[in-house]
Amino acid sequence: MAIMNKQITIGSVSGNDEIRPGYVLMTIHVHRSFPEPRPGQFVMIRIAGLQEPFLSRPLSIFSFSRGRSHGLVKLLYRVAGKGTQILAGLIRGSQVEIVGPLGKGYTVDPSRENRVLIAGGIGVAPLSLLAQHLCRLSGRGANPAVVYLGAKTADELVGLDQLHKYCNSIRVCTDDGSLGEKSLVTRTFQKDMKKHDPARTSIYACGPKPMLQSLAGILKDRYFCQVSLEERMACGVGACMGCAVAVRDENGDKTYRRVCADGPVFDLQKVIWE
Amino acid sequence: MKRTPTTDAAMVVEIAGLKLKNPVMTASGTFGCGEEYAGYVDLNRLGGIVVKGLSLKPRLGNPPPRIMETAGGMLNAVGLQNIGVDAFIEEKLPFLRTYDVAVIANIYGESCAEYAQVARKLSAAPGVHALEVNVSCPNVKKGGLSFGADPKAAAEVTKRVKAETHLPVIVKLTPNVTDITVIARAVEEAGADAVSLINTLTGMSIDLKTRTPHLKNITGGLSGPAIKPVALRMVWQAAQKVTIPVIGMGGIMTAEDALEFMVAGAAAVQVGTANFINPLATSEIVQGMRQYVKHHKLKNITEIVGTLKV
Repeated sequence: MAIMNKQITIGSVSGNDEIRPGYVLMTIHVHRSFPEPRPGQFVMIRIAGLQEPFLSRPLSIFSFSRGRSHGLVKLLYRVAGKGTQILAGLIRGSQVEIVGPLGKGYTVDPSRENRVLIAGGIGVAPLSLLAQHLCRLSGRGANPAVVYLGAKTADELVGLDQLHKYCNSIRVCTDDGSLGEKSLVTRTFQKDMKKHDPARTSIYACGPKPMLQSLAGILKDRYFCQVSLEERMACGVGACMGCAVAVRDENGDKTYRRVCADGPVFDLQKVIWE
Repeated sequence: MKRTPTTDAAMVVEIAGLKLKNPVMTASGTFGCGEEYAGYVDLNRLGGIVVKGLSLKPRLGNPPPRIMETAGGMLNAVGLQNIGVDAFIEEKLPFLRTYDVAVIANIYGESCAEYAQVARKLSAAPGVHALEVNVSCPNVKKGGLSFGADPKAAAEVTKRVKAETHLPVIVKLTPNVTDITVIARAVEEAGADAVSLINTLTGMSIDLKTRTPHLKNITGGLSGPAIKPVALRMVWQAAQKVTIPVIGMGGIMTAEDALEFMVAGAAAVQVGTANFINPLATSEIVQGMRQYVKHHKLKNITEIVGTLKV
Protein backbone atom coordinates (compact mmCIF):
# COMPACT_ATOMS: atom_id res chain seq x y z
CA MET A 1 0.00 0.00 0.00
CA ALA A 2 1.36 3.38 -0.94
CA ILE A 3 2.03 6.09 1.58
CA MET A 4 -0.36 8.99 1.22
CA ASN A 5 2.19 11.76 1.21
CA LYS A 6 1.11 13.83 -1.76
CA GLN A 7 -1.23 16.75 -1.69
CA ILE A 8 -2.48 19.77 -3.47
CA THR A 9 -0.74 22.91 -2.30
CA ILE A 10 -2.55 26.20 -2.17
CA GLY A 11 -0.09 28.93 -3.00
CA SER A 12 -0.36 32.68 -2.94
CA VAL A 13 1.07 34.64 -5.85
CA SER A 14 3.47 37.24 -4.50
CA GLY A 15 4.82 38.35 -7.86
CA ASN A 16 3.92 37.78 -11.50
CA ASP A 17 6.06 40.06 -13.60
CA GLU A 18 6.54 40.21 -17.32
CA ILE A 19 10.33 40.38 -17.31
CA ARG A 20 10.50 40.44 -21.13
CA PRO A 21 7.67 40.73 -23.63
CA GLY A 22 5.86 37.40 -23.41
CA TYR A 23 8.04 36.00 -20.58
CA VAL A 24 6.71 36.00 -17.04
CA LEU A 25 8.31 35.24 -13.71
CA MET A 26 5.78 34.08 -11.12
CA THR A 27 6.71 33.90 -7.45
CA ILE A 28 4.45 31.81 -5.24
CA HIS A 29 4.38 31.61 -1.48
CA VAL A 30 3.77 28.03 -0.39
CA HIS A 31 3.66 26.26 2.93
CA ARG A 32 7.02 25.60 4.58
CA SER A 33 6.45 21.88 4.15
CA PHE A 34 6.44 22.07 0.34
CA PRO A 35 8.71 19.23 -0.80
CA GLU A 36 12.18 20.21 -2.01
CA PRO A 37 12.05 19.95 -5.81
CA ARG A 38 14.77 18.14 -7.69
CA PRO A 39 16.15 20.04 -10.69
CA GLY A 40 14.11 19.21 -13.77
CA GLN A 41 10.89 18.64 -11.84
CA PHE A 42 7.74 20.62 -12.58
CA VAL A 43 4.40 21.53 -11.07
CA MET A 44 0.85 21.42 -12.38
CA ILE A 45 -0.66 24.81 -11.65
CA ARG A 46 -4.19 26.15 -11.91
CA ILE A 47 -6.06 29.13 -10.62
CA ALA A 48 -7.94 28.18 -7.47
CA GLY A 49 -11.68 28.00 -8.00
CA LEU A 50 -11.56 28.86 -11.69
CA GLN A 51 -13.03 26.52 -14.33
CA GLU A 52 -11.28 28.16 -17.29
CA PRO A 53 -8.80 27.16 -18.45
CA PHE A 54 -10.04 23.68 -17.76
CA LEU A 55 -6.73 21.88 -17.37
CA SER A 56 -3.82 22.72 -15.10
CA ARG A 57 -0.62 23.86 -16.80
CA PRO A 58 2.70 22.08 -16.43
CA LEU A 59 5.50 24.52 -15.64
CA SER A 60 9.14 23.82 -14.80
CA ILE A 61 10.40 24.92 -11.43
CA PHE A 62 12.83 27.78 -12.02
CA SER A 63 13.89 28.34 -8.45
CA PHE A 64 12.99 27.20 -4.97
CA SER A 65 13.92 28.42 -1.51
CA ARG A 66 12.65 27.76 1.96
CA GLY A 67 12.44 30.40 4.62
CA ARG A 68 11.36 30.19 8.25
CA SER A 69 7.71 30.82 7.60
CA HIS A 70 7.18 29.68 4.02
CA GLY A 71 8.64 28.30 0.83
CA LEU A 72 9.08 30.27 -2.38
CA VAL A 73 8.47 28.61 -5.72
CA LYS A 74 9.45 30.55 -8.81
CA LEU A 75 8.15 29.67 -12.23
CA LEU A 76 9.53 31.28 -15.36
CA TYR A 77 7.19 30.77 -18.29
CA ARG A 78 6.51 31.92 -21.80
CA VAL A 79 3.02 33.08 -22.68
CA ALA A 80 2.25 30.52 -25.36
CA GLY A 81 -1.53 30.16 -25.36
CA LYS A 82 -4.77 30.76 -23.56
CA GLY A 83 -3.75 29.07 -20.31
CA THR A 84 -0.48 30.86 -19.82
CA GLN A 85 -2.15 34.11 -20.87
CA ILE A 86 -4.65 33.76 -18.04
CA LEU A 87 -1.87 32.83 -15.61
CA ALA A 88 0.07 35.90 -16.70
CA GLY A 89 -2.90 38.06 -15.74
CA LEU A 90 -2.86 36.95 -12.10
CA ILE A 91 -2.32 39.71 -9.60
CA ARG A 92 -0.48 39.65 -6.27
CA GLY A 93 -2.44 37.74 -3.68
CA SER A 94 -4.18 35.43 -6.18
CA GLN A 95 -4.54 31.85 -5.02
CA VAL A 96 -3.21 29.02 -7.12
CA GLU A 97 -3.46 25.25 -6.72
CA ILE A 98 -0.22 23.41 -7.21
CA VAL A 99 0.32 19.69 -7.61
CA GLY A 100 3.97 18.75 -7.34
CA PRO A 101 6.87 18.71 -7.53
CA LEU A 102 6.30 16.12 -10.23
CA GLY A 103 8.34 13.97 -12.57
CA LYS A 104 11.86 12.69 -12.52
CA GLY A 105 14.62 15.28 -12.46
CA TYR A 106 18.12 15.37 -13.91
CA THR A 107 20.62 12.76 -12.73
CA VAL A 108 23.81 14.22 -11.33
CA ASP A 109 26.72 11.82 -11.58
CA PRO A 110 29.46 12.95 -9.17
CA SER A 111 32.17 11.30 -11.25
CA ARG A 112 31.43 13.50 -14.25
CA GLU A 113 32.42 16.77 -12.69
CA ASN A 114 32.51 18.78 -15.93
CA ARG A 115 28.90 19.88 -16.27
CA VAL A 116 27.55 21.61 -19.30
CA LEU A 117 24.14 23.27 -19.46
CA ILE A 118 22.66 24.11 -22.85
CA ALA A 119 19.52 26.22 -22.79
CA GLY A 120 17.40 27.53 -25.62
CA GLY A 121 14.80 30.21 -24.89
CA ILE A 122 12.43 29.31 -22.09
CA GLY A 123 14.37 26.03 -21.74
CA VAL A 124 16.52 27.97 -19.29
CA ALA A 125 13.87 27.47 -16.57
CA PRO A 126 14.67 23.91 -15.36
CA LEU A 127 18.40 24.43 -15.97
CA SER A 128 18.44 27.38 -13.57
CA LEU A 129 17.26 25.17 -10.75
CA LEU A 130 19.93 22.67 -11.80
CA ALA A 131 22.59 25.40 -11.71
CA GLN A 132 21.43 26.34 -8.21
CA HIS A 133 21.67 22.70 -7.17
CA LEU A 134 25.10 22.15 -8.75
CA CYS A 135 26.38 25.33 -7.11
CA ARG A 136 25.38 23.95 -3.73
CA LEU A 137 27.06 20.63 -4.55
CA SER A 138 30.36 22.01 -5.74
CA GLY A 139 30.82 24.53 -2.94
CA ARG A 140 32.28 28.02 -2.95
CA GLY A 141 34.81 29.05 -5.55
CA ALA A 142 34.33 26.10 -7.83
CA ASN A 143 32.60 26.57 -11.16
CA PRO A 144 29.54 24.34 -11.03
CA ALA A 145 28.84 24.33 -14.77
CA VAL A 146 29.64 25.77 -18.16
CA VAL A 147 26.49 27.32 -19.57
CA TYR A 148 25.49 27.90 -23.18
CA LEU A 149 22.45 30.14 -23.29
CA GLY A 150 20.71 31.01 -26.50
CA ALA A 151 17.54 32.70 -27.70
CA LYS A 152 16.11 34.15 -30.89
CA THR A 153 16.76 37.75 -29.88
CA ALA A 154 18.09 39.71 -26.91
CA ASP A 155 14.49 40.45 -26.01
CA GLU A 156 13.76 36.76 -25.62
CA LEU A 157 16.91 35.90 -23.71
CA VAL A 158 15.72 35.29 -20.18
CA GLY A 159 17.23 33.82 -17.04
CA LEU A 160 20.72 35.24 -17.47
CA ASP A 161 20.70 37.18 -14.17
CA GLN A 162 19.71 34.10 -12.25
CA LEU A 163 22.41 31.97 -13.88
CA HIS A 164 25.03 34.61 -13.11
CA LYS A 165 24.42 34.00 -9.42
CA TYR A 166 25.68 30.44 -9.78
CA CYS A 167 27.94 30.26 -12.81
CA ASN A 168 30.68 32.50 -14.09
CA SER A 169 31.21 30.69 -17.35
CA ILE A 170 28.23 31.59 -19.53
CA ARG A 171 28.33 31.78 -23.31
CA VAL A 172 25.44 33.85 -24.63
CA CYS A 173 24.21 33.76 -28.21
CA THR A 174 21.21 34.94 -30.19
CA ASP A 175 19.94 34.00 -33.62
CA ASP A 176 20.08 37.63 -34.78
CA GLY A 177 23.21 38.68 -32.88
CA SER A 178 21.34 41.27 -30.81
CA LEU A 179 23.11 39.92 -27.72
CA GLY A 180 26.27 37.83 -27.42
CA GLU A 181 27.44 35.81 -30.36
CA LYS A 182 25.29 35.62 -33.49
CA SER A 183 24.82 31.89 -33.58
CA LEU A 184 22.58 29.02 -32.68
CA VAL A 185 23.34 27.81 -29.18
CA THR A 186 24.06 24.30 -30.44
CA ARG A 187 26.62 25.70 -32.93
CA THR A 188 28.34 27.74 -30.22
CA PHE A 189 28.56 24.63 -28.09
CA GLN A 190 29.81 22.55 -31.01
CA LYS A 191 32.74 24.91 -31.56
CA ASP A 192 33.70 24.38 -27.89
CA MET A 193 33.06 20.67 -27.84
CA LYS A 194 36.72 19.62 -27.80
CA LYS A 195 37.09 21.28 -24.39
CA HIS A 196 34.62 18.84 -22.92
CA ASP A 197 36.07 15.37 -22.41
CA PRO A 198 33.22 12.89 -22.94
CA ALA A 199 34.46 10.65 -20.13
CA ARG A 200 34.07 13.30 -17.48
CA THR A 201 31.29 15.47 -18.91
CA SER A 202 27.54 15.52 -18.25
CA ILE A 203 25.43 17.62 -20.56
CA TYR A 204 22.00 18.89 -19.54
CA ALA A 205 19.83 20.58 -22.11
CA CYS A 206 16.39 22.07 -22.51
CA GLY A 207 14.92 24.01 -25.37
CA PRO A 208 12.80 23.77 -28.48
CA LYS A 209 12.60 20.38 -30.21
CA PRO A 210 14.68 21.39 -33.28
CA MET A 211 17.47 22.51 -30.95
CA LEU A 212 17.46 19.24 -29.02
CA GLN A 213 17.28 17.23 -32.21
CA SER A 214 20.26 19.08 -33.62
CA LEU A 215 22.11 18.51 -30.35
CA ALA A 216 21.42 14.79 -30.66
CA GLY A 217 23.09 14.88 -34.07
CA ILE A 218 26.11 16.75 -32.74
CA LEU A 219 26.67 14.62 -29.64
CA LYS A 220 25.82 11.23 -31.17
CA ASP A 221 26.33 8.67 -28.42
CA ARG A 222 29.69 10.00 -27.26
CA TYR A 223 28.36 12.09 -24.41
CA PHE A 224 26.10 11.58 -21.43
CA CYS A 225 23.29 14.02 -22.13
CA GLN A 226 19.91 14.47 -20.51
CA VAL A 227 17.19 16.68 -21.91
CA SER A 228 13.99 17.98 -20.40
CA LEU A 229 10.99 17.68 -22.74
CA GLU A 230 7.71 19.49 -23.00
CA GLU A 231 4.35 18.09 -24.09
CA ARG A 232 0.70 18.97 -23.56
CA MET A 233 -0.48 17.34 -20.34
CA ALA A 234 -3.78 16.71 -18.64
CA CYS A 235 -2.99 15.04 -15.33
CA GLY A 236 0.75 15.45 -14.78
CA VAL A 237 0.90 12.33 -12.62
CA GLY A 238 1.05 9.54 -15.20
CA ALA A 239 -2.58 8.54 -15.49
CA CYS A 240 -3.94 10.07 -18.67
CA MET A 241 -1.20 8.92 -21.10
CA GLY A 242 -1.67 12.22 -22.93
CA CYS A 243 1.93 13.48 -22.88
CA ALA A 244 3.49 10.63 -24.83
CA VAL A 245 6.96 10.92 -26.30
CA ALA A 246 8.48 8.31 -28.61
CA VAL A 247 11.67 6.74 -27.23
CA ARG A 248 13.76 3.62 -27.73
CA ASP A 249 13.28 1.02 -25.02
CA GLU A 250 15.95 -1.32 -23.61
CA ASN A 251 15.74 -3.49 -26.73
CA GLY A 252 15.96 -0.53 -29.07
CA ASP A 253 12.29 -0.79 -30.02
CA LYS A 254 10.05 2.23 -30.30
CA THR A 255 7.72 2.82 -27.40
CA TYR A 256 5.87 5.75 -25.88
CA ARG A 257 6.79 7.12 -22.48
CA ARG A 258 4.95 9.69 -20.40
CA VAL A 259 6.75 13.03 -20.25
CA CYS A 260 5.13 13.71 -16.86
CA ALA A 261 5.91 10.52 -14.96
CA ASP A 262 8.71 8.81 -16.91
CA GLY A 263 10.33 12.20 -17.63
CA PRO A 264 10.31 15.11 -18.19
CA VAL A 265 14.04 14.34 -18.23
CA PHE A 266 15.15 11.73 -20.77
CA ASP A 267 18.47 10.49 -22.10
CA LEU A 268 18.89 12.44 -25.32
CA GLN A 269 19.96 9.45 -27.38
CA LYS A 270 16.82 7.49 -26.46
CA VAL A 271 14.43 10.10 -27.81
CA ILE A 272 12.96 9.44 -31.25
CA TRP A 273 12.33 12.66 -33.17
CA GLU A 274 9.13 12.26 -35.15
CA MET B 1 -1.59 -5.32 5.18
CA LYS B 2 -5.16 -4.34 4.50
CA ARG B 3 -6.62 -1.42 6.27
CA THR B 4 -10.37 -1.10 6.18
CA PRO B 5 -11.85 2.28 6.93
CA THR B 6 -15.15 2.16 8.74
CA THR B 7 -17.78 1.44 6.15
CA ASP B 8 -20.75 3.75 6.05
CA ALA B 9 -23.78 1.48 5.51
CA ALA B 10 -25.79 4.34 4.05
CA MET B 11 -23.32 4.62 1.18
CA VAL B 12 -23.06 0.96 0.24
CA VAL B 13 -24.46 0.00 -3.16
CA GLU B 14 -24.64 -3.32 -4.93
CA ILE B 15 -24.10 -3.65 -8.67
CA ALA B 16 -24.73 -7.04 -10.21
CA GLY B 17 -23.86 -8.82 -6.98
CA LEU B 18 -20.77 -6.70 -6.46
CA LYS B 19 -20.84 -4.78 -3.21
CA LEU B 20 -19.28 -1.34 -3.35
CA LYS B 21 -18.51 0.77 -0.27
CA ASN B 22 -20.00 3.72 -2.06
CA PRO B 23 -21.23 4.51 -5.57
CA VAL B 24 -18.06 6.30 -6.68
CA MET B 25 -15.71 4.51 -9.05
CA THR B 26 -12.87 5.82 -11.14
CA ALA B 27 -13.45 5.82 -14.89
CA SER B 28 -11.16 3.67 -17.00
CA GLY B 29 -8.18 5.46 -18.48
CA THR B 30 -8.27 8.31 -16.01
CA PHE B 31 -6.78 6.66 -12.96
CA GLY B 32 -4.06 4.37 -14.33
CA CYS B 33 -4.02 1.22 -12.24
CA GLY B 34 -4.44 3.13 -9.00
CA GLU B 35 -0.76 3.67 -8.25
CA GLU B 36 -0.61 7.10 -9.84
CA TYR B 37 -3.16 8.50 -7.39
CA ALA B 38 -2.46 6.35 -4.34
CA GLY B 39 -0.27 9.08 -2.86
CA TYR B 40 -3.18 11.54 -3.01
CA VAL B 41 -6.29 9.47 -2.36
CA ASP B 42 -6.88 6.64 0.11
CA LEU B 43 -7.93 4.00 -2.40
CA ASN B 44 -9.74 2.15 0.38
CA ARG B 45 -12.29 4.93 0.44
CA LEU B 46 -13.36 4.48 -3.16
CA GLY B 47 -16.32 2.47 -4.31
CA GLY B 48 -14.25 0.87 -7.04
CA ILE B 49 -11.27 1.31 -9.30
CA VAL B 50 -11.80 0.72 -12.98
CA VAL B 51 -8.33 0.24 -14.40
CA LYS B 52 -6.94 1.42 -17.73
CA GLY B 53 -8.26 -0.61 -20.68
CA LEU B 54 -6.41 -3.90 -21.10
CA SER B 55 -5.80 -5.76 -24.32
CA LEU B 56 -4.38 -9.20 -25.01
CA LYS B 57 -1.02 -7.85 -26.18
CA PRO B 58 0.61 -4.58 -25.10
CA ARG B 59 -0.48 -1.63 -27.24
CA LEU B 60 1.77 1.25 -28.28
CA GLY B 61 -1.08 3.72 -28.55
CA ASN B 62 -1.42 6.65 -30.94
CA PRO B 63 1.36 9.08 -31.87
CA PRO B 64 1.30 12.47 -30.11
CA PRO B 65 -0.16 15.03 -29.78
CA ARG B 66 -2.83 12.97 -28.05
CA ILE B 67 -4.75 15.55 -26.06
CA MET B 68 -6.17 19.01 -26.48
CA GLU B 69 -8.01 21.24 -24.07
CA THR B 70 -11.42 22.44 -25.24
CA ALA B 71 -14.12 24.60 -23.69
CA GLY B 72 -15.11 22.89 -20.45
CA GLY B 73 -13.29 19.71 -21.29
CA MET B 74 -10.66 17.97 -23.34
CA LEU B 75 -10.16 15.72 -26.31
CA ASN B 76 -8.02 12.63 -26.10
CA ALA B 77 -6.82 10.12 -28.64
CA VAL B 78 -4.53 7.95 -26.56
CA GLY B 79 -5.44 4.84 -28.54
CA LEU B 80 -5.56 2.42 -25.61
CA GLN B 81 -1.84 2.39 -24.84
CA ASN B 82 -1.48 -0.33 -22.22
CA ILE B 83 0.94 -2.95 -20.98
CA GLY B 84 -1.28 -5.89 -21.89
CA VAL B 85 -3.31 -8.20 -19.70
CA ASP B 86 -0.44 -10.49 -18.65
CA ALA B 87 1.78 -7.64 -17.45
CA PHE B 88 -1.23 -6.15 -15.65
CA ILE B 89 -1.81 -9.37 -13.73
CA GLU B 90 1.89 -9.74 -12.99
CA GLU B 91 2.89 -6.15 -12.22
CA LYS B 92 -0.16 -4.06 -11.33
CA LEU B 93 -2.67 -6.37 -9.68
CA PRO B 94 -0.49 -7.24 -6.63
CA PHE B 95 -0.46 -3.55 -5.69
CA LEU B 96 -4.24 -3.28 -6.00
CA ARG B 97 -4.68 -6.42 -3.89
CA THR B 98 -3.15 -4.61 -0.92
CA TYR B 99 -6.30 -2.48 -0.84
CA ASP B 100 -9.80 -3.32 0.25
CA VAL B 101 -11.48 -1.91 -2.83
CA ALA B 102 -13.40 -3.37 -5.75
CA VAL B 103 -11.15 -3.73 -8.77
CA ILE B 104 -12.88 -3.66 -12.13
CA ALA B 105 -10.78 -4.58 -15.12
CA ASN B 106 -11.68 -2.75 -18.31
CA ILE B 107 -11.07 -4.99 -21.31
CA TYR B 108 -10.64 -4.39 -24.99
CA GLY B 109 -10.13 -6.64 -28.00
CA GLU B 110 -9.74 -6.33 -31.73
CA SER B 111 -12.02 -9.33 -32.19
CA CYS B 112 -14.59 -11.26 -30.18
CA ALA B 113 -12.00 -13.97 -29.62
CA GLU B 114 -9.59 -11.45 -28.15
CA TYR B 115 -12.19 -10.04 -25.78
CA ALA B 116 -12.89 -13.59 -24.65
CA GLN B 117 -9.21 -14.41 -24.11
CA VAL B 118 -8.62 -11.28 -22.03
CA ALA B 119 -11.74 -12.03 -19.99
CA ARG B 120 -10.58 -15.58 -19.33
CA LYS B 121 -7.14 -14.50 -18.12
CA LEU B 122 -8.58 -11.87 -15.78
CA SER B 123 -11.21 -14.21 -14.38
CA ALA B 124 -8.46 -16.55 -13.25
CA ALA B 125 -6.52 -13.73 -11.58
CA PRO B 126 -7.16 -13.19 -7.88
CA GLY B 127 -8.18 -9.65 -7.02
CA VAL B 128 -10.34 -8.81 -10.02
CA HIS B 129 -13.94 -8.30 -8.95
CA ALA B 130 -15.70 -7.43 -12.19
CA LEU B 131 -15.07 -6.83 -15.87
CA GLU B 132 -16.01 -3.75 -17.82
CA VAL B 133 -16.16 -4.46 -21.53
CA ASN B 134 -15.03 -1.52 -23.62
CA VAL B 135 -17.04 -1.58 -26.84
CA SER B 136 -16.85 2.16 -27.15
CA CYS B 137 -13.33 3.47 -27.67
CA PRO B 138 -13.47 6.02 -30.49
CA ASN B 139 -9.70 6.13 -30.99
CA VAL B 140 -8.76 2.69 -32.26
CA LYS B 141 -9.07 1.35 -35.78
CA LYS B 142 -10.22 -2.15 -34.96
CA GLY B 143 -12.59 -3.22 -32.21
CA GLY B 144 -13.85 -0.57 -29.82
CA LEU B 145 -16.57 1.50 -31.41
CA SER B 146 -17.13 -0.93 -34.28
CA PHE B 147 -18.60 -3.31 -31.69
CA GLY B 148 -20.36 -0.71 -29.59
CA ALA B 149 -22.23 1.01 -32.41
CA ASP B 150 -23.87 -2.15 -33.67
CA PRO B 151 -26.40 -3.90 -31.41
CA LYS B 152 -25.65 -7.33 -32.88
CA ALA B 153 -21.88 -7.00 -32.50
CA ALA B 154 -22.24 -5.57 -28.98
CA ALA B 155 -24.46 -8.49 -28.00
CA GLU B 156 -22.03 -10.98 -29.52
CA VAL B 157 -19.05 -9.59 -27.56
CA THR B 158 -21.13 -9.62 -24.38
CA LYS B 159 -22.08 -13.27 -24.88
CA ARG B 160 -18.51 -14.30 -25.56
CA VAL B 161 -17.21 -12.53 -22.46
CA LYS B 162 -20.03 -13.88 -20.28
CA ALA B 163 -19.18 -17.41 -21.40
CA GLU B 164 -15.62 -16.98 -20.15
CA THR B 165 -16.20 -15.53 -16.73
CA HIS B 166 -17.96 -15.95 -13.42
CA LEU B 167 -17.41 -12.23 -12.69
CA PRO B 168 -20.07 -9.56 -13.12
CA VAL B 169 -19.85 -8.12 -16.64
CA ILE B 170 -20.41 -4.41 -17.19
CA VAL B 171 -20.62 -3.25 -20.80
CA LYS B 172 -19.39 0.29 -21.40
CA LEU B 173 -21.43 2.04 -24.06
CA THR B 174 -20.62 4.73 -26.55
CA PRO B 175 -22.71 7.88 -26.97
CA ASN B 176 -21.73 7.99 -30.66
CA VAL B 177 -24.91 6.25 -31.77
CA THR B 178 -28.38 7.35 -32.79
CA ASP B 179 -30.13 5.58 -29.92
CA ILE B 180 -28.07 4.32 -27.00
CA THR B 181 -31.04 2.45 -25.52
CA VAL B 182 -31.03 0.02 -28.46
CA ILE B 183 -27.45 -1.01 -27.65
CA ALA B 184 -28.19 -1.09 -23.92
CA ARG B 185 -31.10 -3.45 -24.47
CA ALA B 186 -29.10 -5.62 -26.84
CA VAL B 187 -26.33 -6.21 -24.32
CA GLU B 188 -28.83 -6.74 -21.52
CA GLU B 189 -30.48 -9.49 -23.55
CA ALA B 190 -27.05 -10.95 -24.25
CA GLY B 191 -26.46 -11.33 -20.52
CA ALA B 192 -24.70 -8.16 -19.40
CA ASP B 193 -24.97 -7.62 -15.65
CA ALA B 194 -24.77 -3.84 -15.94
CA VAL B 195 -24.06 -1.09 -18.43
CA SER B 196 -21.85 1.93 -17.95
CA LEU B 197 -22.23 5.10 -19.97
CA ILE B 198 -21.15 7.32 -21.51
CA ASN B 199 -17.72 6.88 -23.04
CA THR B 200 -16.35 9.98 -24.78
CA LEU B 201 -18.06 11.80 -27.63
CA THR B 202 -16.08 11.90 -30.85
CA GLY B 203 -14.88 15.40 -31.59
CA MET B 204 -12.11 17.44 -33.11
CA SER B 205 -10.19 20.66 -32.68
CA ILE B 206 -8.41 22.73 -35.30
CA ASP B 207 -5.35 24.97 -35.18
CA LEU B 208 -6.41 27.88 -37.36
CA LYS B 209 -2.86 29.19 -37.80
CA THR B 210 -1.66 26.00 -39.46
CA ARG B 211 -5.07 24.68 -40.54
CA THR B 212 -4.18 21.32 -39.04
CA PRO B 213 -5.99 19.24 -36.44
CA HIS B 214 -4.65 19.64 -32.90
CA LEU B 215 -4.60 15.87 -32.51
CA LYS B 216 -2.37 13.64 -34.61
CA ASN B 217 -5.28 11.18 -34.76
CA ILE B 218 -7.41 14.05 -36.19
CA THR B 219 -10.41 13.11 -34.04
CA GLY B 220 -10.54 12.31 -30.35
CA GLY B 221 -12.92 11.62 -27.51
CA LEU B 222 -14.45 14.60 -25.73
CA SER B 223 -14.74 14.42 -21.95
CA GLY B 224 -15.22 16.79 -19.05
CA PRO B 225 -18.11 18.96 -17.83
CA ALA B 226 -18.92 19.95 -21.43
CA ILE B 227 -20.48 16.52 -22.00
CA LYS B 228 -22.41 16.22 -18.75
CA PRO B 229 -25.83 17.25 -20.12
CA VAL B 230 -25.52 14.70 -22.93
CA ALA B 231 -24.45 12.01 -20.49
CA LEU B 232 -27.29 12.76 -18.08
CA ARG B 233 -29.81 12.54 -20.90
CA MET B 234 -28.45 9.18 -22.08
CA VAL B 235 -28.29 7.71 -18.58
CA TRP B 236 -31.88 8.80 -18.01
CA GLN B 237 -33.00 7.24 -21.30
CA ALA B 238 -31.08 4.00 -20.79
CA ALA B 239 -32.22 3.56 -17.20
CA GLN B 240 -35.83 3.52 -18.36
CA LYS B 241 -35.20 0.86 -20.97
CA VAL B 242 -33.12 -1.72 -19.08
CA THR B 243 -33.62 -3.52 -15.80
CA ILE B 244 -29.91 -4.11 -15.14
CA PRO B 245 -28.04 -1.38 -13.23
CA VAL B 246 -26.80 1.65 -15.16
CA ILE B 247 -23.49 3.16 -14.12
CA GLY B 248 -23.43 6.83 -15.04
CA MET B 249 -20.50 8.96 -16.08
CA GLY B 250 -19.63 11.95 -18.21
CA GLY B 251 -18.25 15.20 -16.83
CA ILE B 252 -18.78 14.51 -13.15
CA MET B 253 -16.72 17.07 -11.24
CA THR B 254 -18.58 17.35 -7.92
CA ALA B 255 -20.81 15.41 -5.54
CA GLU B 256 -23.79 17.32 -6.92
CA ASP B 257 -22.98 16.13 -10.43
CA ALA B 258 -22.76 12.53 -9.19
CA LEU B 259 -26.06 12.82 -7.35
CA GLU B 260 -27.77 14.21 -10.46
CA PHE B 261 -26.71 11.09 -12.34
CA MET B 262 -28.22 8.92 -9.62
CA VAL B 263 -31.46 10.87 -9.73
CA ALA B 264 -31.48 10.28 -13.49
CA GLY B 265 -31.29 6.56 -12.82
CA ALA B 266 -27.66 5.62 -12.27
CA ALA B 267 -27.05 3.00 -9.59
CA ALA B 268 -23.45 4.12 -9.32
CA VAL B 269 -21.12 6.61 -11.01
CA GLN B 270 -17.66 6.89 -12.43
CA VAL B 271 -15.42 9.91 -12.14
CA GLY B 272 -12.96 10.45 -14.96
CA THR B 273 -11.52 13.67 -16.27
CA ALA B 274 -12.03 15.37 -12.89
CA ASN B 275 -9.11 13.31 -11.57
CA PHE B 276 -6.78 15.10 -13.96
CA ILE B 277 -7.43 18.55 -12.62
CA ASN B 278 -7.99 17.52 -9.02
CA PRO B 279 -6.26 14.35 -7.85
CA LEU B 280 -8.53 14.39 -4.80
CA ALA B 281 -11.74 14.60 -6.85
CA THR B 282 -12.99 11.08 -6.11
CA SER B 283 -12.58 11.30 -2.36
CA GLU B 284 -14.10 14.79 -2.26
CA ILE B 285 -17.10 13.51 -4.22
CA VAL B 286 -17.57 10.59 -1.80
CA GLN B 287 -17.39 13.06 1.07
CA GLY B 288 -19.94 15.38 -0.51
CA MET B 289 -22.35 12.53 -1.24
CA ARG B 290 -22.07 11.33 2.34
CA GLN B 291 -23.02 14.80 3.55
CA TYR B 292 -26.03 14.78 1.24
CA VAL B 293 -27.17 11.44 2.63
CA LYS B 294 -26.83 12.76 6.17
CA HIS B 295 -28.50 16.03 5.41
CA HIS B 296 -31.49 14.31 3.77
CA LYS B 297 -31.55 11.58 6.42
CA LEU B 298 -31.46 8.81 3.83
CA LYS B 299 -31.13 5.24 5.05
CA ASN B 300 -29.19 4.46 1.93
CA ILE B 301 -28.05 6.52 -1.01
CA THR B 302 -29.88 4.21 -3.43
CA GLU B 303 -33.10 5.87 -2.27
CA ILE B 304 -32.45 8.68 -4.75
CA VAL B 305 -31.78 6.44 -7.75
CA GLY B 306 -34.23 7.15 -10.56
CA THR B 307 -36.25 9.65 -8.55
CA LEU B 308 -36.38 12.24 -11.31
CA LYS B 309 -39.74 13.99 -11.26
CA VAL B 310 -41.06 14.60 -14.73
